[in-house]
Amino acid sequence: MLVGIALAVWALVRLALGYPRRDPALRQLSARDQAFVRAAADAVFPPGGALAISGAEAGTLAHVDRYVASLSPRSRVLIRLLFFLLEHATLFFPAPGWDGFRRFTSLTPAQRAAVLEGWGRSPLAVRRTVFQSLRAVLTMAYFANPTVLRAMGLAPLAIESPVVDADLLYPPIGQPRSAVRATPADRERCVPRTPLDPHGPLDPAYREPA
Amino acid sequence: MNDPRAWPGSVRVFADYDRDFRLDADVVVVGSGPCGAVAAYELAAAGKSVVLCEEGPPFTPADYEIDGALSMSRTMREGGLRFTSGTVLPTMQAIALGGGSLVNSAMCNRTPDFRFQEWAEEAELSRTSRAELEPHYDAIAEFLGIAATPDEVQGRRNLLFRDGCKALGYSAESCPRNVVGCRGSGECFTGCRPRAKQSMDISYVPAAIRLGAQVLTSVRVERILASGRRATGVEGRVAAPFTGAPGPSFRVDAKAVVLAAGVVATPLLLQRSGDLANASGQVGEHLQFHPGTSVLGVFPDPVEPVFGATQGYQSLHFLREGFKLETLWAPPGVLAVRMPGLGHPLKQALLDMRFASVFDGIVSCRRSEGRVRERGRSLHPAMRWTFHPDDAAVLGRAIWHMAEIFFAAGARKILPGVAGVPDELHSLAEAEVLRTRRLRPSDIVVASTHVFGTTRMHGDARRGVVDEDLKAHDMDNLYVVDTGVFPRSPAVNPMFTGMALARRSALALAGRV
Repeated sequence: MLVGIALAVWALVRLALGYPRRDPALRQLSARDQAFVRAAADAVFPPGGALAISGAEAGTLAHVDRYVASLSPRSRVLIRLLFFLLEHATLFFPAPGWDGFRRFTSLTPAQRAAVLEGWGRSPLAVRRTVFQSLRAVLTMAYFANPTVLRAMGLAPLAIESPVVDADLLYPPIGQPRSAVRATPADRERCVPRTPLDPHGPLDPAYREPA
Repeated sequence: MNDPRAWPGSVRVFADYDRDFRLDADVVVVGSGPCGAVAAYELAAAGKSVVLCEEGPPFTPADYEIDGALSMSRTMREGGLRFTSGTVLPTMQAIALGGGSLVNSAMCNRTPDFRFQEWAEEAELSRTSRAELEPHYDAIAEFLGIAATPDEVQGRRNLLFRDGCKALGYSAESCPRNVVGCRGSGECFTGCRPRAKQSMDISYVPAAIRLGAQVLTSVRVERILASGRRATGVEGRVAAPFTGAPGPSFRVDAKAVVLAAGVVATPLLLQRSGDLANASGQVGEHLQFHPGTSVLGVFPDPVEPVFGATQGYQSLHFLREGFKLETLWAPPGVLAVRMPGLGHPLKQALLDMRFASVFDGIVSCRRSEGRVRERGRSLHPAMRWTFHPDDAAVLGRAIWHMAEIFFAAGARKILPGVAGVPDELHSLAEAEVLRTRRLRPSDIVVASTHVFGTTRMHGDARRGVVDEDLKAHDMDNLYVVDTGVFPRSPAVNPMFTGMALARRSALALAGRV
């Protein structure tokens, strides 16, 4: 009986308690998810170094939340299960050190990196797949940051879209056909059609803030 | 006729549906991807009244997301997170007007004659050869302006592939694509902002509307209606963009039904319509992919990969050996997923991407197959697929040849992305491990967007779902015209051959309705 109660208390503490307060601006991720994504993002993309901006500083958490919100309910569950799994898998694949069984977010940065490295280098294909899935979510979020892409020289270029017949037929998604603003005359508007200059101006969303 | 708003056909969008509705047509086409769009256009051109149903919305440039993750979540089924069980294979199917053509790299390859001969032998076909399909390829090529990718928009990352192949004596072909006026934005996968790619939503679909076709977007066909050997129409519900939330119901009564919902969705639709057209038991079987993987090579000088056609060069040199090599670009965040490691070494490696080019290899599997079934009562699939070790070994050879090409083109290192092999290889001698080691399926991270086989064409009604006109063996007026009809891999990118077969089928159907 006592053992059962002790186990229940331990499970409650491990699973639910001690997480920082949830950021209410984020719609999808729970307090635990948010803590995990923040910790994992900084383990994969730590502060400083060649690309100075860290995973957390790059707004990874907000991007992941937005991404999860855009998914189907089933995909949302799968992504959150992935976070849950890695948060608690230290029970079976502990971090180095006597305290390596703690949940992922309670580990030191060095331990977190070691845990993820262990998943990524595992001889078990399924563990590598789990790591790659997490890495995919975090990497795509990190790369959504314009500063990151600018630093890498990979920010998208400015491109003006010419008006074609289809633009007179389809409104932007979710709007009625009366929202179609293009007219037949717009098709004649002169838009550059020459090869882009790789050193040309960036898309406005990726430009350095003035 | 200069103003599309005055054309005889029409398009309805989500905001147009405020109540249940019912339509009549000669032919209802389900799915507006490359095959369905061609079929709808040809039937409309033949004077038939056509209703084209598409579950996704039309995307305008204002709706495109340059960001890779968000783009996938908006344009792909299940947010781009669809994968097979058995061997885990991420696979993406688009949900948009124009289907996959909105977010593919526009490669238009004709299936080689040797593969058609294999199809003919294995599937007992007598009228499906390269020569038979050539007029259909030609007509589509002329309509879409399919042409080799010009050098001025290749960008250095594509030309390096060409140079490496030439140095080794391998063939290198500039990719033929349905693109007119490419600017080298490399954004094929997130929607072409320069509007150069002739995706179906801006090419065949408007052309069908011009000829009188009615296009229903954001409608999910849930059931094919049938009586005995005759299909009588389809029914379903309006589906809200991105969420799929059901709206009013609709029904289209038609003299013939053409399914082009895709290799995954078409068999599900048949299964949930009373296991229609499945006396052979082949519906949903023989699920096949072109599993592929990429290798990243880093060069001494900046490659500036942000400029250049998404996939500008390919090598058909190894088709008979079972694989095809090509160049690849995608949103940087998607490509970076395959970079090894984490922490500061990863960040350092990311800075190399400006100096990088990416090649990929796809395999025409001989032994890897699976099946697709309904997941519960949903319209989502449960896909099982197994990557056979023999096919994985072929992909291993493809990886070795990509390494060869990189070093022949002057790469200072490559990142092969293979488990058990060093993260970075700095010379061909170091890369020798890729040639000597037989790779296992689990050693390679694979993905695929090329799918076929689940409603296969076969001369024997007991062994296939459709005949050579793509008419269901069991039905008098039900056609399947997507790449699910391929008996096996086409050896190259499947879109163009799917369209050619769809065109032939539509012309045959037009003569019967």
